Amino acid sequence: MIRLRAFGDTAVDFTFLIGQALTNGLIIGLLYLLMAIGFTLVFGVMRVVNFAHGEFYMLGAFSAYVCVTKLQLPFLAAVLATFILTLVLGWIIEVVVMKGFRGEELNGMIATIGLAMILQNGALMIFGPDPQSMPAVAEGVVSLGPVMLPMSRLYVVAFSLVVLVLLYGFLMHSKGGRALRAVVQDIEIANAQGIRSQFMYPLGFGIGVALAAVAGALMAPVFSVSPSIGSTPLLKAFIVVILGGLGSIPGAALAALLLGVFESVANPFMSSSFSDMLLFGFVILMLIFRPSGLLGKAGR
Amino acid sequence: MNVSTMTENHNKGARTRAFDQAPGNAWKAWIPALLVLFAIPLLLAGNPFYIHLAVLICLNIIFVNGLALINRTGQLSFCHAAFMGMGAYAAVICTVRFQTPFLISVSAGVAVSMLAAYLLGAVILRLQGVYFVLVTFCFGELFRLVMLEGGDITGGANGIANIPPARLFGFTFDSKLSFYVLAAACAFLSIVFLIALFKTPKGNSLDAVGDNPDLAEASGISIQGSQTFAFVLGSAFAGFSGALLAHYLGFVSPESFNQHISVAAIIMLVIGGRGSVLGPILGALIMTPLPELFRSAIETQNIMYGITLILVLKFLPMGLVGIGAKLRGKKGQP
Repeated sequence: MIRLRAFGDTAVDFTFLIGQALTNGLIIGLLYLLMAIGFTLVFGVMRVVNFAHGEFYMLGAFSAYVCVTKLQLPFLAAVLATFILTLVLGWIIEVVVMKGFRGEELNGMIATIGLAMILQNGALMIFGPDPQSMPAVAEGVVSLGPVMLPMSRLYVVAFSLVVLVLLYGFLMHSKGGRALRAVVQDIEIANAQGIRSQFMYPLGFGIGVALAAVAGALMAPVFSVSPSIGSTPLLKAFIVVILGGLGSIPGAALAALLLGVFESVANPFMSSSFSDMLLFGFVILMLIFRPSGLLGKAGR
Repeated sequence: MNVSTMTENHNKGARTRAFDQAPGNAWKAWIPALLVLFAIPLLLAGNPFYIHLAVLICLNIIFVNGLALINRTGQLSFCHAAFMGMGAYAAVICTVRFQTPFLISVSAGVAVSMLAAYLLGAVILRLQGVYFVLVTFCFGELFRLVMLEGGDITGGANGIANIPPARLFGFTFDSKLSFYVLAAACAFLSIVFLIALFKTPKGNSLDAVGDNPDLAEASGISIQGSQTFAFVLGSAFAGFSGALLAHYLGFVSPESFNQHISVAAIIMLVIGGRGSVLGPILGALIMTPLPELFRSAIETQNIMYGITLILVLKFLPMGLVGIGAKLRGKKGQP
């Protein structure tokens, strides 16, 4: 549709094209942001790159699917239930599995590969490999000037914004959030100040993976749900977090929105694997020349 | 003291202990043992499936040996499959397009892997730990995409099929059994090469860089130099195994060398054991046949993999090879 329009009056259609791409990009970017913030939070607290992060996205999508189609819950309740369930699951997994690997970068990371295998194949056994589809949350299209926005996507935006605002409030203005940020900044000083890090590890991991699950739950009505859907969001979270700087939440926010916009703007002009190639090339350059990320401070 | 430094020290202790307990001449005992091991599949020659498994084990031994070599300098490569793919594609393109003899094709494949590893290593090896892992992960993904978009040269998503079998000195390795003999010989040579390497000062310097980079550098060993050496050589192993695999299967595609293959190599290495020559052999020997034998229950089996991986990391950070050392260590200590 976009391609067809581009043959018309170029001046008008160019603004339309860019406007539509920017809006789509911001919507996708918000979702990447939910994934990436969870990912960077886990890294910040535990110094572990969580290869199972995409599997929690997948679990979140299945949780929303089961809540809405099997239990007939409203979508809001499904998202809430998903958040709480995965928070508890993440807490338990941290205590049972990840406890021995806190602060151990390489072994912890390999352990999350094992965790990802367990979660993905567990979902395969329970739900089977076929993609399931879930009813859309809302019908219809809203038009902002020439830009068209499907209601179902607007829902995603609204939910993501609410989650992000809640997260911001928790991290910046609550005792637990402050303690969590202190642990991210410097674990030893946080301990010395009397922060009980044995709670902060499972809390950070739980919130991190629950955010991934919420992203999955929000996308479940838009895309289909299957056990293998976790790998793409994981890859995007990787890219966002490297660009933003490992452990940096503001960096992740900037990088997620930039990534979303880049993908949407590049979409009409080049194939997706070519834009992925550009991205990976850029990410490698970024890691080499500025490993601390877009907003990160140099050296650690 | 926080938890992380304590566990690190513990790991390092386990590592040096494992080295101390491998007496200098132990290899004299297990080179014959290896020869016997490699001869066993010849007795099973009647069953082509077992021979097929044995070929895959041999190729994986070469592949994981390369990864182990890199890992001994303290770096974990997540793009090992990309170098395997480079060797495979380069060798296959030589064989199919330019009709070069097998030996030349394989050499070209290895050379391409080494050159790429040298160029990549020169810029990325100053990154440490997780950053190195992430950059190699991205590179692996980039390689797969480039092969996918390679058009006529790489055959895109379809890859390249109908690769002629290996031919050496007028003999064609077109049966499974004959190829097994070739693969076993190559795997054996790769093992002997590693044993010999880690007896030289060069090999010791690699271990020194892996154990304690700062101390190694203070003793006059170049970290970057040692890691580049290991990265180039380890990637050559990967390229070599890829070139052999392509001529054995007669087919290459981008998905033959994706992230799952790199992860599989890491799993074999971790479960077998890092920090010894025996570890990768054990890892490849145990982990290669499992997916082939349990094809019907693939999910259960993958879950078992995941659990095994976590348990090994938790209780045997030195891998299955570490069992002996761990038992002896317990006995030896008050």
